[in-house]
Amino acid sequence: MSRPPPSFTPQNPTPAPNPGGPASSFPASFSNLQISGAPPPFASAGPPAGNGPAPPSIRGPQAPVPGARPFAGSPSPPVQQSPPFGGPPAVQPLQPPQRPPFHGPLSGPPAQAQRAPFRGPPAASQPPPFAGPPAAVSQPPPFVATPQLPPYSAAQPQLFGGPPGGAVPLPTYSMPPFGGPPQQGPYGGPPQFGGQRPGSQPPSFGAHTAPASQPPPFMGVPGASAPAFGPPGWQGQPQPGVLPGGLQPSMRMPVMPGGMQPIAGQGIPSTPTMPYSPHAGAQVSTPSKIDPNQIPRPIAETSVVIFETRQGGQAAVPPAASSEFIVKDTGNCSPRLMRCTMNQIPCTGDLVTTSGMPLALMVQPFALPHPSEEPIQLVDFGEMGPIRCSRCKAYINPFMRFVDQGKNFICNLCGFSNDTPREYLCNLGPDGRRRDADDRPELCRGTVEFIASKEFLVREPMPAVYFFLVDVSMNAVHTGATAAACSAISQALSDLPEGPRTMVGIATFDSAIHFYSLKRAQQQPLMLIVPDIQDVYTPLQMDLILPVSECRDSLEQLLESIPSMFENNRVADSAFGAAMKASFLAMKPTGGKLLVFQSVLPSVGTGSLSAREAEGRSNISTGDKEAHKLLQPVDKTLKTMALEFAEYQVCVDVFLTTQSYTDIASISVVPSTTGGRVYYYFPFSALSDPAKLFNDLRWNISRPQGFEAVMRVRCSQGLQVQDYSGNFCKRVPTDIDLPAIDSDKAIMVTFKHDDKFQENSECAFQCALLYTTVYGQRRIRVINISLPCTSMLSNLFRYADLETQFTYIVKQAASGIPTSSPSQVRDQVTSTCINILQSYRKYCASVSSSGQLILPEALKLLPLYTLALIKSIGLRNDGRIDDRSYWVSIVSSISVFLAVPLVFPRMIALHDLMSRDDEDSLIPNHLTLNSENIQDDGIYLLENGEDGFIYVGNAVNSATLEQIFGSSSLAGVPNQLVLEQFDNELSRKVNEIVNEIRRQRCSYLRLRLCQKGDPSGDFFRSLLVEDKAPGGLSYVEFLVHVHRQIQSKMT
Amino acid sequence: MAEFFQLEEVDGIRMPWNVIPGTREDAFSCVVPVSAIYTPLKPIDKMTVVPYSPLRCRMCRSILNPFSSVDYNSKIWQCTFCFQRNQFPQHYSSISENNLPPELFPQYTTMEYISAAETGPVAPPVFMFVVDTCMIEEEIDYLKSALAQTAELLPDNSLVGFITFGTYVQVHELGFGLLPKSYVFKGTKEVSKEQILDQMCFFSGKQKPATGVIAGTRDGLSSESISRFLVPASECEFVLNSVIEGLQKDPWHIPADQRASRCTGAALSVAASLLGVCVPGSGARIMAFIGGPSTEGPGSIVSKSLSEPIRSHKDLDKDSAPLYDKAVKFYDQIAKQLVHQGHVLDLFACAVDQVGVAEMKVAIEKTGGIVVLAESFGHSVFKDSLLRIFQSADNNLGLSFNGILEINCSKDVKIQGIIGPCTSLEKKSPLSADTVIGQGNTSAWKMCGLDKKTSLCFVYDISRKVGPDSVAQQTSNQLYFQYVTYYQHHEGQMRLRVTTISRQWSSGSASVQELVDGFDQETAAAVVARLVSFKMETEADFDPIRWLDRALIRLCTKFGDYQKETPSSFSLSPRLSIFPQFMFNLRRSQFVQVFNNSPDETAYFRMMLERENVGNTVAMIQPSLISYSFQSEPMPVLLDVTAIAPDKILLLDSYFTVVIFHGMTIAQWRNAGYQDQEGHEVFAKLLKDPHVEADTIIKERFPVPRLVVCDQHGSQARFLLAKLNPSVTYNSDNAAASGGDVIFTDDVSFDVFMDHLQRLSVQ
Repeated sequence: MSRPPPSFTPQNPTPAPNPGGPASSFPASFSNLQISGAPPPFASAGPPAGNGPAPPSIRGPQAPVPGARPFAGSPSPPVQQSPPFGGPPAVQPLQPPQRPPFHGPLSGPPAQAQRAPFRGPPAASQPPPFAGPPAAVSQPPPFVATPQLPPYSAAQPQLFGGPPGGAVPLPTYSMPPFGGPPQQGPYGGPPQFGGQRPGSQPPSFGAHTAPASQPPPFMGVPGASAPAFGPPGWQGQPQPGVLPGGLQPSMRMPVMPGGMQPIAGQGIPSTPTMPYSPHAGAQVSTPSKIDPNQIPRPIAETSVVIFETRQGGQAAVPPAASSEFIVKDTGNCSPRLMRCTMNQIPCTGDLVTTSGMPLALMVQPFALPHPSEEPIQLVDFGEMGPIRCSRCKAYINPFMRFVDQGKNFICNLCGFSNDTPREYLCNLGPDGRRRDADDRPELCRGTVEFIASKEFLVREPMPAVYFFLVDVSMNAVHTGATAAACSAISQALSDLPEGPRTMVGIATFDSAIHFYSLKRAQQQPLMLIVPDIQDVYTPLQMDLILPVSECRDSLEQLLESIPSMFENNRVADSAFGAAMKASFLAMKPTGGKLLVFQSVLPSVGTGSLSAREAEGRSNISTGDKEAHKLLQPVDKTLKTMALEFAEYQVCVDVFLTTQSYTDIASISVVPSTTGGRVYYYFPFSALSDPAKLFNDLRWNISRPQGFEAVMRVRCSQGLQVQDYSGNFCKRVPTDIDLPAIDSDKAIMVTFKHDDKFQENSECAFQCALLYTTVYGQRRIRVINISLPCTSMLSNLFRYADLETQFTYIVKQAASGIPTSSPSQVRDQVTSTCINILQSYRKYCASVSSSGQLILPEALKLLPLYTLALIKSIGLRNDGRIDDRSYWVSIVSSISVFLAVPLVFPRMIALHDLMSRDDEDSLIPNHLTLNSENIQDDGIYLLENGEDGFIYVGNAVNSATLEQIFGSSSLAGVPNQLVLEQFDNELSRKVNEIVNEIRRQRCSYLRLRLCQKGDPSGDFFRSLLVEDKAPGGLSYVEFLVHVHRQIQSKMT
Repeated sequence: MAEFFQLEEVDGIRMPWNVIPGTREDAFSCVVPVSAIYTPLKPIDKMTVVPYSPLRCRMCRSILNPFSSVDYNSKIWQCTFCFQRNQFPQHYSSISENNLPPELFPQYTTMEYISAAETGPVAPPVFMFVVDTCMIEEEIDYLKSALAQTAELLPDNSLVGFITFGTYVQVHELGFGLLPKSYVFKGTKEVSKEQILDQMCFFSGKQKPATGVIAGTRDGLSSESISRFLVPASECEFVLNSVIEGLQKDPWHIPADQRASRCTGAALSVAASLLGVCVPGSGARIMAFIGGPSTEGPGSIVSKSLSEPIRSHKDLDKDSAPLYDKAVKFYDQIAKQLVHQGHVLDLFACAVDQVGVAEMKVAIEKTGGIVVLAESFGHSVFKDSLLRIFQSADNNLGLSFNGILEINCSKDVKIQGIIGPCTSLEKKSPLSADTVIGQGNTSAWKMCGLDKKTSLCFVYDISRKVGPDSVAQQTSNQLYFQYVTYYQHHEGQMRLRVTTISRQWSSGSASVQELVDGFDQETAAAVVARLVSFKMETEADFDPIRWLDRALIRLCTKFGDYQKETPSSFSLSPRLSIFPQFMFNLRRSQFVQVFNNSPDETAYFRMMLERENVGNTVAMIQPSLISYSFQSEPMPVLLDVTAIAPDKILLLDSYFTVVIFHGMTIAQWRNAGYQDQEGHEVFAKLLKDPHVEADTIIKERFPVPRLVVCDQHGSQARFLLAKLNPSVTYNSDNAAASGGDVIFTDDVSFDVFMDHLQRLSVQ
């Protein structure tokens, strides 16, 4: 195996047959240096437009291999890029030119596409997606701008709707799933996202302040675009085409790209001298010689790529999950829906083991498409149901091979030869394909949806049921959590799917459960209390859950009066488990979503919990090694309950608006088993959190989603599914049950070999998801991907998908947290990293460079990410138990797109927005996560998709403070920040940026103010992963550590 | 007989033997036990109520009474019962022969004390409505209107609680104004007081005391927490009305082959526990309105499957009613709890089907509750009875609470027990006999609820033996009974009523005549009826007919005049002469012939039998029959089929039903409308008179009897025919008089019965 790859070759795409190869093409920053002479890397990387193997590729470097198959058609390649590495230093100077680079290449269609959706009519499109015209924004609420609507509303339909123009690609088949007419579309554009009622909808994020009136800035948007626009990837692509435009500018620091400039302050007295290794990847030589400026770091990517999933009959290597790309489904599914840790499948299990890399799929069946993508097409086979392999039951897909004039077809998964049903016969063309292949989505698209025929129905498709359960115990009422929940629900009602099949119900609880029957037409609702919390029941069979159209008014009234009704409630206990159980019983006949708003530790009734944390603390102090047990559910009660919920298709989402320990470890079992998630607002602030609560809720109910789903992944013979992980319930080994599945949830599927593949064969994966749309249609979404097999270890490394692999590692770590001590988990993570790198070093790198740390190009950021993971909340020793549990809980269903930032946050400077020059991107380029980038006169935003930390140095210009915070002094400004928009350009920009991030992440960041000299400031600094922290290595030290480990293993 | 009635007017008490058989053997041979039927709260003309506490004997705690001998000089009185000499207290110092305190006035053998010391603040009565909702809409509407009417009549100060039930129990929080609010309990479980305390937020915001009894405002509960559920009628009018207005059929789906799921037991358990938590010890009534059988949870009487019929007497006899014993046991527990708390269970059972009165009987009876059984909530029997409870007219029931009754008797008399609506307090004393009948083993009883009519049957045991010492006792030939009832008057204050009576011992063996002279045959019939009813319920394989026959024969043998073996010589003294007729009718009555009735009806009849006074009991046993005709004034006639004539109107009062029966001719005339024509005023009056009479009967009776108006040969005529002596049957020799009627029965007629009786008595 160990073939020393020519210096770059392996890593760099050049030689590689696949254009895809280039994915890895971004040499690490330092590599540049060495590379300088090596054009190839970039070259390969190159083909921008389309398939970019990796986003970076897009920009660039097509030059060398321009024509290559992948992008043959790719638009303007990139002229500019060709001179990838001109020389490092050069980079900086280039900055100004930035724009051109982008504009040039992209200016074409893609550019439009991306923007358009959000910004509304291009012309109109104002920069501030959320903010709307600045003028309008008089209101304090951050997001609120009313004016915005237009842009969004316009935009929205497109989101799901696919290209603005024609929604329905194939007239023949019924509907484009997302497309068109509201009625049908599962997410049917308009209704859901407010497109339809532009005027009426409240801005999603406007929430707290001006709730009602404005709408959706966010919502619509986020849903739609978010993923699409994901922040530019952070690939470390220094040189390649990059130079001209992209990177450098982004980082204000010289550091990155070619960035050789030594920075004075660096912790390690490194000399600028870098060892040059001829080898591809990044190389780090002995520690002392590491130049901190040259070590690999992600590089922001801002251009949009068009990615054709298969090119020339071959699977294309997908762009980085974090980059922005537009998928053209040409046979393989969009990588958003499903991507593999390796883009070539090892032929044997031994190869996997040797590589140290995981073999897994990340499936996110409802991932939001880019607004410019075609919608997934809907195919209706009528009574007959979708064509399936009669042996393995795989669904028809583009990789099934029709033979004998089309009379038979051979299953690509199990190899069985099936008779083609008479109705489905079609002649083959000269190329061996069916003549109608291009007209039938199921034969030419990686992803299609089938209308489920009767055999898939065990009962009528369930209605969309939303049941709200609100904690009204003393603390909840006092902290304002109850009021926040009620107001959020009330505002979110208008975002529920429209139609008679949308049902709602509500209950509140303290030490008893209060149901409300809203049936009684003109009368007041009837309040029914279930006091027996050991053995609960639903007090009514009907009338607790009603079509929203029948009870909206009374429900709104009720929601308004609940906070005052319980104003003087002195019941401190909370019967969370019992309340869920009782609500479940009410929902049992239909199933549906149970949205629980909980504020304190559940102290009574079925499933009550105890303040284990306190015990835990004392145990820790006495050196108890079992401390991690606190991260396990305390007992099986809630698990048992959750299994029952799942059986009856009830999905639970828990919103924890709390100011104390709530034992998330135990609570999260319920959402994670039923396809829901935990939302955590700690410490809850009645001032700043209601807006987030509302937006989270709104997104929760309005995002694309399905109910009563069953999912199964099939794969070609030779592999078998080893395990699924994510938020679901598994009753049989082959399938997972998802009471609900939505666009944010990802499921990881691991595989193991049970046979060998031939070198030139392809391995196919098919994920079939049977679900019910919110409008009550039963469908099967079938997602296919077929990847080439290889027996070359070097290919595995070259085609490794860093983000997916890292997501795997994060999830593995999360699953280990409850059962092992943090140090064990950290060691585990580190050794995973080391094993991979060592394998590469051992089998793929040239022998000559023994003194150097050699990183495979595709995985050059693995050490940095690993370091970030080690320092993440979940793996910290000092974290609060609940914070760690929460971290574990969100990781379990997190998508690739969000997993990386969660661990490796993004930091940008806010104080100098006015002077930045990279105007083409809304969000300024991000800064490396080390304290050198933190100036005392600066204001920085660091976000991880969950929280946004705004750090304010102690020497900030008071005028700047005044502009951003509306106050020249921060004394007295609460840590839990409400970011208001003031009438000045800076404030506007800050708000725009924050909103853009929210949109990208589909998450309303909780903003926290961190000030230097305050504990909050210290916390902020602890998030700078490259820094040396107490008990944690700096990035450079970590590289050294990794290197040493590898070296010691090698000997 | 009139004298007995007069005695009753004075003291509210009647005894079968007004001369007491002198020895145990005598008493035994008298067949009818020495006993008394006492109406503790009988309204008595000009009764004295004094505003102070009574004087009690310091030995036996009996109360100073007109029979006590007093030494005015030394200011000493001697106890009537234990002969203890007691000093008058200081404030009696001015006592003299001419200056007697009322309690020594000879005519004040019954009087009441209201003592300031014993009367706290007037406790408001509490009404806890427990309403079934498993009914068809029509019935619910009837019930709603009845309840709405009731709500208006509730005394302003009274506290009201409201519980509805069906599949689940809902406790309505009337004190919550914002929206209708109720606590819902599962129908399958009993609910203890502890659970009520825990689950209904009685300690919200406060620490629950770890130990000790928690109940009521006196023991740990805040009045605010209580006032959520029990609200003064004057304050909750609106909420109460809206709750009543909002009553709906239980919403849970009922499969076609099933009964509604009705958790009567759980509902009553919740009500009892809630009252126990909130107002223990003060007067409260659970008023249960039930429209069908309990099928869910504790106390259920039948399964939900309609294929299983509700138990009949036959099932009970054969022990094939699997749920019966369990249910009775459950209600017995409820009864104990209620008695302990001093609360009453009233039952309004209105359904075509049985609802489980038989099982609930124990709880109703032990707490002294009222029971009304009707076919529908729309029926006047229910509606008028309910109104009567709250109407403060002349005939009000005078519902009182929390009575404790104690007795004292002269030496040699012991108490075996009480048959009637009360509960033994298990306060064993020398007065308690070894043998127990009914509520015994005590000399004190609790009556959680009692009213003006409530009558208890005390069964005594004469322990005096024939012997040398009997001579000594001849000296004091008198013996005394004292009844002390401490109760919460319907106006709220606590009162003490004392009745002291005196009777004579019969003098030795030559006493038959004395005994006969003192025999009150109506009371005797009432006592025998209660005894037979009680025995039928409690003794397995009891044969009531045989028992009654033997008792009657023994009595006749002992007290009749005859020559041995010569039936024709047999005669009875007027004091005894009607007694056989009572027994004849008792044998035929619903109390003994249960198989024509459902267990619920039987239970209902028995409960009424056991709480009514002598007069009404006699009406139940032997209905009265009045004949109206042109020829004469209305006149009572024999309860016999021969009383039927085409030109007569008969008015039958069998207590539970009042029947107006028009002879054929009368009916034809009436149908022809003569009564409306001029010149026929007499006929109109003739038609009207029985109705007037019936109205007076109905007015003063509770529960309101059912009025049946029928014509000869009509289907409803069975209500009359069933009660008549079948002297003319389809196979009897004597043909019916023209226009008369025959009864299709094989039952023996009274004549045949008497023949047999005479024959057997003289053997």
